[in-house]
Amino acid sequence: MALDRLLNVARKEFSDHITSRRFVIILGLLLVISTISIYDGIENYNNSLEAYTEQLRQMEEFDDPYRNWMPQKPTIMYVFISMMSYMTMLGGILAIAIGFDLVSKEKETRSLKSLLSHPVYRDEIINGKALGGIGALGFAMALALAIAVAMLLLFSVVPTLEEFAAILIFGAVTLGFLLAYFAVALTMSTVAKESGNALIYTLVIFFAVSSLLPMFGAMAAGAFAGDPPEMGPMPKEVVRVASSNGYSTTTVAQSVVYGGTEDPEWKAYEEEMKTYIEKRRLISDVSNLLSPQMNYYTVAIAVTNPQLSSMIASPYDTATEETAGLAGALGRVWMNIAALIVFPSAFFAATYVKFMRMDIR
Amino acid sequence: MIRTENLTKIYNGKAAVDGLDLEVGEGDIFGFLGPNGAGKSTTILMLTGMIEPTGGRCLVDGIEVAKDPLKVKEIIGYLPEDVGFYGNMTGEQNLDYFARFYGMDARKRKERIAELLELVHLDGVTQKAGEYSRGMKQRLGLAQALINDPKVLFLDEPTANLDPEGVREYRELVTHLADEGKTVFVSSHILSEVREVCRTVGLLAKGRLMAQGTLEEVARALASPDGDMVRIVVETREHLPAIDDPAIISVEGNGNRAVVRAKADIRDRLAASLFDQGLHVREMRLEEPEIEDVFMAAYRR
Repeated sequence: MALDRLLNVARKEFSDHITSRRFVIILGLLLVISTISIYDGIENYNNSLEAYTEQLRQMEEFDDPYRNWMPQKPTIMYVFISMMSYMTMLGGILAIAIGFDLVSKEKETRSLKSLLSHPVYRDEIINGKALGGIGALGFAMALALAIAVAMLLLFSVVPTLEEFAAILIFGAVTLGFLLAYFAVALTMSTVAKESGNALIYTLVIFFAVSSLLPMFGAMAAGAFAGDPPEMGPMPKEVVRVASSNGYSTTTVAQSVVYGGTEDPEWKAYEEEMKTYIEKRRLISDVSNLLSPQMNYYTVAIAVTNPQLSSMIASPYDTATEETAGLAGALGRVWMNIAALIVFPSAFFAATYVKFMRMDIR
Repeated sequence: MIRTENLTKIYNGKAAVDGLDLEVGEGDIFGFLGPNGAGKSTTILMLTGMIEPTGGRCLVDGIEVAKDPLKVKEIIGYLPEDVGFYGNMTGEQNLDYFARFYGMDARKRKERIAELLELVHLDGVTQKAGEYSRGMKQRLGLAQALINDPKVLFLDEPTANLDPEGVREYRELVTHLADEGKTVFVSSHILSEVREVCRTVGLLAKGRLMAQGTLEEVARALASPDGDMVRIVVETREHLPAIDDPAIISVEGNGNRAVVRAKADIRDRLAASLFDQGLHVREMRLEEPEIEDVFMAAYRR
């Protein structure tokens, strides 16, 4: 495979994407929504920052009833949480929009035959098409992040180096998610003879893995894990320990004390419940690995809110400073990161094989 | 320049091209004739390195296509049947995209594209290829086939969408290219078209080559391959009596003129018989079958 031929295809595809009306309209919509939600996020961030300052002031003034409780300074990554929700919808649509007719349109207009009559290998064509699409999505993502960072700076919110790194990681994860649907669309475009069918097949897969799969996963988890353990007699005394992690999360841990020691029945119930929940989670987590949406949510939360991610991953453990950090949170969701890489890779591989064997009569 | 040896392509267990042996010399304009579905386009796709043969091999300028398709593509030009382009790009942009695959620098590309667009009368056309008429697309297709100044040109139904003026220009261009030493391989199911420009022809039917040579040679080869009848036109000064000969199949008479259909050329016997009867023969000749009729009969076989 010659790089110049591959880049010739990729350059043309990239140029086609960013000048196409379809791409410009969806990207415009995405950027407008992104700007509005970033603006909202900055307002929320500023409110959280004010609340945090107020909490610190109050702690200094009054005796704190929870000695271990310490409010956490909000990070600007909260601003990006809202980006997740519209990226899964509009971003997904953008990825599908640029991929669903990449090959099928060439078959319909017969330009593929003209192209193949020139000295270029089939793998250079399909790889160039993929590269051009990835470039266009990367461009869209970079534009959205650049606008977000520009707005932060405009509102005098300057990210730290660590936060800037987290923003870049968030961008990379989002791009990974977009690639998943781009890969599905590209595969369907290669498989289907007509672009209309390719779009329908892609949308079916989109809804199947984004909605149906998590639903079936939850149902399967319920079916395999059985009924939840029965709760024993009511405990005599419950001690609640509350902790807050700043912006929006609060954790409540409870333990039961019976005559100065922990109630053994309650303890056993707690253990059974823990096992039951973990079993359910294991099954639903496995099915969720096939859903780019679920993987994206999991990884994006780990990037934007490592504390929340830590609590979701280990609801029974109190997160330590070390494990609640970005690196620790990313380490806990490695399977989801791997799934975000494997999912598009599998579809790209299928596209490659199909395109190489395609009948071009 | 072009050679195929037992070239075979099988689709779903059915042979689209069946053991094709073909040879086209350098500078020739070769007409590849055959009805729709005969396997002409499949043959061209194999010759241009776009699909691999199931069996046999094909060579262009001594290069085995299946082994080095890219090298072959560098020296050939191909105008596909119902050629397509990128509708969002102008003709010039389409040609520029294809030209980049030949490693041509920007200046060379610009010069070559301007030259070709002028040649096919599309210079100054600024509209996108998606807005082109079919005839314009066909002309742009010819330009893209010539972008690399090819040694061998494959044209699949080249006049299908052209107007009479376009057809005339195409014929002139093909002749001019052949005079330059280029080999032109024209696939068509229209005999009259092939007859106008081609020096040699090959007839393909059901994936098999039925005959190859000049048009007359092919017509002769196809005319009576299994002892078909001979038509003799006879005219005498007097009214023609009944003609009797064991080789005669039928006689269509009209006064002093008749068309005799016989198993063999019996003109000598016929002349002697008429002379014996005291008749004056004005005309006696073999009626050559029309080439169109021969090809139509071959298509139907």
